Amino acid sequence: MVTIYYVMIVNILYFAIMGLSYRNILTIFRRSKYSSYNTLSGSELVPSVSLLVPAYNEELTIIENVYCLMTLNYPTYEVIVINDGSSDKTLSVLISEFGLKKMSNPEIRGTIDTQNMRGIYHNPDYPQLFIIDKENGGKADSLNAGINFSHYPLISSIDADSLLEKDALIRMARMYMENPEEMVAIGGDVRIANGCLIENGAVQKVSLPRKIWPMFQSIEYLKAFLGGRIGWSHMNGLVIVSGAFGLFRKDYVIAVGGYRGGYPGEDMNIIIKLHRYMLSHKLPYRVAFCPEAVCWTQAPDSYKIISNQRMRWGRGNLKNMIENRGMLFNPKYKVMGMITMPYNVLFETLNPYFRITGLLALMGYTLLDMTHWRILLTFFLLNFLSGYLLSVGAIILEEIAFRRFKKLSDLWKMLLFSALKFVGYHQLGVLWRIQGHIQYLRKNNSWGAMTRQSWKEESEAA
Amino acid sequence: MFSHLIVAYIFIYICLGLIGLGIILLLQMKVSHNKEQHRREMYEQKHHDYFKYIQAHLEEEGALRLPPGKLKPLERKVIQEKYMEWIEQFKGDYRARLIQLCRDAGFVEADLKALSSVSFGRRLDAAYRLGGMRAEEAVPALLQMLQKGKYNSLSIIIARSIAKSAQKSEDVLEMLRILLSHGKPIHHLAADIMLESGMDASGLLLKLLDDPDPALVKVGLVAMWGQAVPEVMPVLGRLVGSEEKDVRAEAVKLYLSSNPALKDETIVHLMSDRNWEVRAAAAKALGPLHAAGSIPLLVKALQDANWKVRYNSAESLAALGEAGFEALCQAALSGAGIQREAALQRIELVMELEQEHSAIEQMVAYNKKRLIHDRYFGVKRKPVKRMTGVAAVGGDYTA
Repeated sequence: MVTIYYVMIVNILYFAIMGLSYRNILTIFRRSKYSSYNTLSGSELVPSVSLLVPAYNEELTIIENVYCLMTLNYPTYEVIVINDGSSDKTLSVLISEFGLKKMSNPEIRGTIDTQNMRGIYHNPDYPQLFIIDKENGGKADSLNAGINFSHYPLISSIDADSLLEKDALIRMARMYMENPEEMVAIGGDVRIANGCLIENGAVQKVSLPRKIWPMFQSIEYLKAFLGGRIGWSHMNGLVIVSGAFGLFRKDYVIAVGGYRGGYPGEDMNIIIKLHRYMLSHKLPYRVAFCPEAVCWTQAPDSYKIISNQRMRWGRGNLKNMIENRGMLFNPKYKVMGMITMPYNVLFETLNPYFRITGLLALMGYTLLDMTHWRILLTFFLLNFLSGYLLSVGAIILEEIAFRRFKKLSDLWKMLLFSALKFVGYHQLGVLWRIQGHIQYLRKNNSWGAMTRQSWKEESEAA
Repeated sequence: MFSHLIVAYIFIYICLGLIGLGIILLLQMKVSHNKEQHRREMYEQKHHDYFKYIQAHLEEEGALRLPPGKLKPLERKVIQEKYMEWIEQFKGDYRARLIQLCRDAGFVEADLKALSSVSFGRRLDAAYRLGGMRAEEAVPALLQMLQKGKYNSLSIIIARSIAKSAQKSEDVLEMLRILLSHGKPIHHLAADIMLESGMDASGLLLKLLDDPDPALVKVGLVAMWGQAVPEVMPVLGRLVGSEEKDVRAEAVKLYLSSNPALKDETIVHLMSDRNWEVRAAAAKALGPLHAAGSIPLLVKALQDANWKVRYNSAESLAALGEAGFEALCQAALSGAGIQREAALQRIELVMELEQEHSAIEQMVAYNKKRLIHDRYFGVKRKPVKRMTGVAAVGGDYTA
């Protein structure tokens, strides 16, 4: 029965977080609908931003992504692509497309330790574009190199396989301008681009993915971002700002020593460090989520790649929780110490073990006495129905505030895949997380295979 | 065990019930949203000729005709949104005629009524639309709404509506006062909101800069960036001596950006200010002012702890002819650490940029600098290489 109660308690907590998301959704809808972005995006009063784009073997998507970033509706910003020692033609395609030349003596003001920079490329015809070529050191190292070179007070980390909506950055900047003193980090909403029609570096028509793996992830992202992060943001307990798209105060990122290199999970790590720093120094602060700032990303569409990604996430999560165990139940760290971190350890990091041991115990119990099959069925039903309810809740949030999927058939498809997710995909998620933990114990800290498809092909496939 | 199972069953039934309700709600929402979208498109099509008529007759005198026939609520909404879209796009007489059209069609009156609705959502919708229609009569109620509410992103929507609708500067000032009363340093956002006002900017700026509240003064100073308002220059001169650190820094930056004539003692005073922003602004202004007498001060400022001050000083030295460039070369050769670094960086930039000269005067100026450069660093044609690793010394991130 402990297992059944565990499942119920976990889900009641999920519902509570989602309840907070519901509390905020109308405000989000209204501010998104009524905020004046036309005037803001041409205003000199908007803070300048350095967009940092780490790129490792991104020759297929990088040009389209850079064009997308260079045409954002934003007054003053720079795009810094950091080629992290790619073994493909990432650097050469960039040099040739934008006619870049190596700068003779570029000025690097930052002091965060990074791998050696081989050169910085620039073309005065594209004044806001810079390419840093450096030796391979990982994503965190690339972001640190970008910070060292950046010129503006705000930095935004963007994955090279992602496309920002034209207003995404200005929407985040609006949120920052509403509380500039306290806002240290803002996360954007990451959505799955597989299946969408992409032209000229922008998503022109939103559709659900056609393949099964991205479709599951689409539901998963909707649930995590709309159902979860809006609620966590409300109580200032966000533990992660997605590495795909986030905005940060550069001075505070530097104050915490920049991104932690050498291990995945740098996006969660930087947020935990920011919480820790601000709370230790008793500074008022906010880490917020801005769901109307949307970034479209390519989701892995094969078993191998998605399993690699999830194992990496599992490792990163475990590493961060172990590294920051001192924050657990520590009242000094307020919401982070008393709610977010314990929640993450008990219901995210250790969740697979509770579920698996519970399931095994129930199965054993039922095998000993087949008359107790009802308990096993109850366990399955509890898991399925509560998880399905959360998915339905997230789809309702989407329908209230954003309505990006117009067709009725999209709705049916989302409802169907929300259910199918529990037949295999959900269980695989548990398995991948455990495998990630095993990798951690074996001290395997590689990034894993990640292959890209060009946006053109992706769009044609759609 | 049985009672535990009952708890689980109850949980399952609750989930099942909520899932059923959720799916029904979702379907209802989806169908109604799609239906509304379809009807919107239909109404836009239906009034296509009317919209053409309005666009064609905006220039003509006399009242514009109202949309024909009896309108359904959504139809009115579609037409009102079109009017508001045009009001945003046009200025002057066109805008005034469209605003009048909103009044004649009863849109302003309806939204004024909605401002007293019990539903906050309806009040906010109305506030947004009243701002879009520049309804001056709504300003007192909007100010009250702003005053009563907590500060959040929705307050900004109401504040923008007030700025758009207000015809009296007192109302804009009152709006800014309420917005800033929450103690948040939102001067940039407040300035952006203020600039949405259709009123004469110089009058508003003068009032802001004369206000006893430093927060309002800061809004005025921030709003002045990118605006050419000669009338406020005397007030700026006064604010340069303000005791408020932020106000003084902003005022100095603005004042110096207009290239005023500066006395030597003022230059010394500014270059030794405790605030780095003031020192940086002063250093930046000295080059374009051709203040050759300030070369020693600028050379000294190459050692400033702040990067921006060093950068601006080197830039100004390079702009001060051969004397300035020679001082830069001397600092690069005999200086050390950050001073040498700042000087070298600028020299490299000058030599690189001026190689692309076109006009004769530029060629002459370049050749003079080339001679000075070669005198200090020899006749090598290759650019001077900096010592690796020095760039990081004394780096700061104040930008």
